[in-house]
Amino acid sequence: MPRTADLLGPSKERPGDNLGTVPIFAQRKWDCPPLGCRIIPDVLTGSLVAAGLLAISLLAPTEKTMGDAQRILYVHVAAAWCGLAGFLIVAASGLLYLLRRDLGWDHWAQAAAEMAWLCCGLTLITGSFWAHAAWNTWWTWEPRLAATAILWAVSSGYLIVRSGVEDPHRRARMGAVLALVAAADIPLVVMATRWFRGIHPAAPQMDPAMRLVLLLSIVGFSAFFGLLLVRRRGQLRLESLLGALEREIDG
Amino acid sequence: MAAQLWWIVHKDLVSECRTWRVWPAMLLFGLVVAFVFGVQADLPPDQRPQIAGGLLWLAIFFAGMQAVDHSCGAEREEGCWDGLMLYPIGAAAIYLAKLAVNAIALAALECLLIPAFAALADVPLMSHPGAMLLVALLGNVGICAVGTLLSGLVAGVRHGGSLLVLIVLPLVIPVVLAAAEATRLAAEGQLGPEWWRWVHLLAAFAAIFVTAGATLFDFVIRD
Amino acid sequence: MSDRTIAVQASRLTKVFGSRVVLREVDLEAAEGEIVVLTGANGAGKTTLLRCLASLTRPTSGDVRWFGRPAGAEPAARRLVGMVPHQSCIYPHLTVRENVVFAARMQGLREAGRRADEWIAAAGLRPYAHRLATHLSRGMRQRVALARALVHDPPIVLMDEPFAGLDAEAAAWLVDLLAEFRGRSRVVCLATHDPDMTQGLTGRVFHLQSGRIEPPEPRRVVATGHNPGESLAA
Repeated sequence: MPRTADLLGPSKERPGDNLGTVPIFAQRKWDCPPLGCRIIPDVLTGSLVAAGLLAISLLAPTEKTMGDAQRILYVHVAAAWCGLAGFLIVAASGLLYLLRRDLGWDHWAQAAAEMAWLCCGLTLITGSFWAHAAWNTWWTWEPRLAATAILWAVSSGYLIVRSGVEDPHRRARMGAVLALVAAADIPLVVMATRWFRGIHPAAPQMDPAMRLVLLLSIVGFSAFFGLLLVRRRGQLRLESLLGALEREIDG
Repeated sequence: MAAQLWWIVHKDLVSECRTWRVWPAMLLFGLVVAFVFGVQADLPPDQRPQIAGGLLWLAIFFAGMQAVDHSCGAEREEGCWDGLMLYPIGAAAIYLAKLAVNAIALAALECLLIPAFAALADVPLMSHPGAMLLVALLGNVGICAVGTLLSGLVAGVRHGGSLLVLIVLPLVIPVVLAAAEATRLAAEGQLGPEWWRWVHLLAAFAAIFVTAGATLFDFVIRD
Repeated sequence: MSDRTIAVQASRLTKVFGSRVVLREVDLEAAEGEIVVLTGANGAGKTTLLRCLASLTRPTSGDVRWFGRPAGAEPAARRLVGMVPHQSCIYPHLTVRENVVFAARMQGLREAGRRADEWIAAAGLRPYAHRLATHLSRGMRQRVALARALVHDPPIVLMDEPFAGLDAEAAAWLVDLLAEFRGRSRVVCLATHDPDMTQGLTGRVFHLQSGRIEPPEPRRVVATGHNPGESLAA
């Protein structure tokens, strides 16, 4: 039976790394890094998010037709980008799991799926508010919004299917297959909805200041997404290690 | 492999013909949807082909999922999945056989449903039978390609049957949209470049997902 | 044993389902012409071990080989194995003959019908050949499962509780069949929770407890009813 030492590899403990009451198994560098290493990403992410929010609030010029309601767009686009990126991570991690049968990749997939679900949900909500402000309707069948709705539905199905399976390898296999099918499907969804509505969206004409704010918003949101992803993946990995320890103790 | 594939299809069709466990419910469901549409639709004649096309393909999807769910679910009885996996046959061949059985089931459904929709909705769905046949064939393969793969996936999951529709429907939206539009255009007699564009999308979807299904089915059925 | 080819080999086989360790570094070898009996209480891991040997279940770690080659690596290699799993693997809405003919066809046998008829007769199922499997008793279904699994005459035979549901006559037939397999250099691994059912068989016995073979040594030799005093060298 795989022993904990095999799972963790040799200890990389250095003077000053030992946090006293933290058990030896948790002292792998990126599961319980030194205090400085844990704070720096949080501070950096916080700074980027703050910069984005400040840019949206203060730097972005007021749009002439929609007024301040247009600022929702900066959150909407950033959330949409993170949702799509999250789903691509789910699919890539799933493929790597199928090739390597390493549950570490499944932890990335699970964490990314949860983030993608959240981001797609946020995209739909902000999109509804934006549509209501722009066209006095809560929903518009714009192809990318329709694709996001489908991505949200697929993410929901992915998480529900996973929750119904106890065995971690079986759960990982199922998740990987579903994610790969969905990843192949999304471009076809965008194509079909685009043809169906006869819409060929052109790149929006944006003021350079608006473009800068959009970029800052995307960077800040992506940093926050990345931080949550890494933290959540760390949680899943620790859960898995705890399970392995319990089996070793029982065995 | 072709012979083994054929014997699996033959076995499933014989079982269904002896028990009639799925097909009658599937056909009845489709007919009820057609009837409900016909009862409430006082639409102007020019709008009927579009609505009829969309409703027809949604009815085919929901009714067809019963057959798709059963094709893999039935193998779980008496542990027959283990029996299939013990034979010298690849998972891809099992997948293609199940896909063929499901496509045949949907074809049987459409033989009843398309004339029923045509009559109840007063839409000339049968005016270009060759075009409708092509759309039906590609639409069947597309829906069944995804449905067969995912029915194997959820076969051992808690509440798998109800999950199947939840996870398949978002993924087959391109098929439903394309088939609905192609059906509308065929009913209106417009078999030009726009109709062919939708048919190409159907063909691309079918090709991509039959390939994906044949590749991934081994991961679905084997621990 | 050293002169005979190792037909089935499991090395450090481990299987974990969720938080349960079902098999713990199990080592097992069976040579041609050998009968291996796996005993143990319910939940000891017998079924999982057989499924791993049949390549139905992928082990968490460890290796399974058939005649020195990785088990189940190619679909064609599965012709080497005939397995009677815990569930009967027969289609309830096909007749007895249709079930066995289907198995023969899936194994790629020529004259599938004739081979199926031979096994149906051997298993005492001729009067029931055209009866639907769903109308058969548990014991009859077990006989159909045996016929289905053995119709292609595999060199490796794996059986999970093969005596379950069999009457005395059928059980005696099965014991004779297994002795015949041994004589024809077939290897048989069978799992049972009741070692008394294996009286009359010559072979090695492995006792599984909590996923381990206990004790690893020595191995008990089951006294035979056919050749008194004969035993396999351990």
